[in-house]
Amino acid sequence: MTTYNQLAGYRVNYLGSDPTLNTGNEGQVWYNSTTGTLRSLVQIKAWSAAGNISTAKAYVAGFGTQTAGLGAGGYASVPLRPSTVKATEEYSGYTWAAGGNLNSNRETANNGGFGTQTAGAITASYNSFAPSGIVSITEKYDGTSWTAGNSIGTARYATAAAGTQTAGLLFGGNATPGTVGATEKYDGTTWTSTGSLNQAKAYLGGSGTQTAALAFGGKLSSTFSGTESFNGTTWTTVNNMGTARYSLAGGGIQTNTLAFGGRTSTANLSSTEQYDGTTWLSVSSMATARGNLGGAGGSGSATIAFAGYTGTAYSALTEEFNSTIFSPATGAWASGGNLNTARQVTAGAGTQTAGVVMGGRNPGTPTLSLAVTENYNGTSWTNSGNMNQLRQGAAASNSGTQTAAITFGGVSPGPTLYANNESYNGSTWTNLTALPAARAGHAGTGTQTAALGFGGYTTAPGIQNTTLAWNGTAWTSGGNLNTARKYLRGFGTQTASLAISGTAVPGRTTATESYNGTTWTSITGVNTARDFAAAAGIQTAGLFFGGSNPTATAETESWDGTSWVTVPSMATARTYLAGCGNQTLALGTGGSAALANTEEWTGTPTTATASTLTTS
Amino acid sequence: MALFIYGTAENTGKGFFTAEDRRNFFLRGFPGDVWVIGNNEKGALWLAEKNGVEKTKAEAQAIVDAEVAKAQAAYDALPEDQKNRPGFNQRPTAITLP
Repeated sequence: MTTYNQLAGYRVNYLGSDPTLNTGNEGQVWYNSTTGTLRSLVQIKAWSAAGNISTAKAYVAGFGTQTAGLGAGGYASVPLRPSTVKATEEYSGYTWAAGGNLNSNRETANNGGFGTQTAGAITASYNSFAPSGIVSITEKYDGTSWTAGNSIGTARYATAAAGTQTAGLLFGGNATPGTVGATEKYDGTTWTSTGSLNQAKAYLGGSGTQTAALAFGGKLSSTFSGTESFNGTTWTTVNNMGTARYSLAGGGIQTNTLAFGGRTSTANLSSTEQYDGTTWLSVSSMATARGNLGGAGGSGSATIAFAGYTGTAYSALTEEFNSTIFSPATGAWASGGNLNTARQVTAGAGTQTAGVVMGGRNPGTPTLSLAVTENYNGTSWTNSGNMNQLRQGAAASNSGTQTAAITFGGVSPGPTLYANNESYNGSTWTNLTALPAARAGHAGTGTQTAALGFGGYTTAPGIQNTTLAWNGTAWTSGGNLNTARKYLRGFGTQTASLAISGTAVPGRTTATESYNGTTWTSITGVNTARDFAAAAGIQTAGLFFGGSNPTATAETESWDGTSWVTVPSMATARTYLAGCGNQTLALGTGGSAALANTEEWTGTPTTATASTLTTS
Repeated sequence: MALFIYGTAENTGKGFFTAEDRRNFFLRGFPGDVWVIGNNEKGALWLAEKNGVEKTKAEAQAIVDAEVAKAQAAYDALPEDQKNRPGFNQRPTAITLP
């Protein structure tokens, strides 16, 4: 009988327990003899949408990494062109921000950049503004400004580049006249000629270092799929790409390079190929086909594609490529103990087994608003001391504990907005210094002595982008949210919080922002915009659940510090609920038309997990 | 075979449904103690174990509709200044069972 080993060249390991999972593998298959199951893990390679650059353009030079990339120069539509030929934008892993302007106009910068976001270089560009022609001067970037340096030996553009600011490599390109294979090394000051490409070509892709580079694709009279490998001295022809293309982008190292986008003679491409040091393999395509795009990535497994020309328009789109065996967090909601007082528009703090909810609203009570507080022990709720102020729509320091939390702001059914701030010790409430102005519908994070309140609304001017920080004694102003909003949620600490979704103008927003103690930065938004949801966790690992859009939802999303993943929903759709806990052990209680029931989330963190194979 | 089982069961709190239950079958709760349950052996067993009463979809929808109507009437009886407040007090809307 033919064995799997004879057919595929691999054996299926026979192991007593699951092995330590190796993120460097394409996938793993093994037989777990203890459980009697065939187990597997498959690597996932995919592009996902990321923050757009400020101006749609093409022919931009890209370099750096997926979380610290740079785009310099480029060519845009006529009204914008003068502002793009010198522009630099820096990518943070979430968003693009303006960097220092180039000294020279560089319309056709293509792959003429190399190095990092704080130690980069650009050369070999073309400019049609007077004085038009090839720009051979090298400019070096220090993270803030560009400084002009020496010119390359062979004037050209539409090249490829690799390496660092002090050990760079430039190869190929269009010169005057003709297309060249010339290669030059850069030491941070001076360019020196070295062995030429075997095939002269322009609009090619490049990756790697000064002593281990890769040149791929490109164009002369025809379009190439050819690949050459550089050893620091000479270029050697290696295996071709699957698709001949030019005006492509690439990134990575010589043994793990990603090539993406570009053009054939008839079409712009979205297809992506990954080189493992020997062979190009087709992997997941970009969502948007384009040529003359920018690319950045220190690894072929973590790269960005940005800008470019789609065939009909210049693009501002950015996509991120990730290759990982990590699987998203998952878990399930189970029922917990019922509240003694059903309520909505309430606030919570603490953990899944030591939580607290305070105030809220119950349409069946004469006062509508509640002061009643309840403590949870992981099984049941017990009434505790009442707040001094009846209220709903307050915020709590949701990283506080069951015995040390504060709640601040809120509203009466009147409606009267409150500035009250109260401290809880596990049984009684004590009045503290009030907020500078009454507000409700805001979010609260942090602890009893280091809390943060942000967003919400006040009597005037209404919807807020302001942030207030509490130090245990007094409130001070923090940085403003980029998106003013109310009915949002948050989690984290006073110096590392997330602001999530809510109601902005003109409506519910997916916007998520990250706070560093001073400044809010826009990051990846939630999948479903909603207000009156609940949230629990820390800045790098959290859970966002329930809420309304416009009707109550049970949807739950898990945050891993980079992206939101939809995970199993709550059993009961609910809005106006309270939440506490963390990404893997959270509590959601109350909400909607004054529910009493509670749900407990038990999740697994973002980690490598294996699945059991079945015959079905 | 129908996708769902419909029934009523009182949520008694902790342990009423477990994480394991949620992995084994679809489960959604609605007003009036109405539950929509994935139609498999474990889902049916869960409803029986919770002393639930199986309903037709129409019967379950009628219970939900009655609860929504009750909540809408309570909302409509509120003073105008409370009804019109943005955000916190929205008139309950109809719910259609899956």
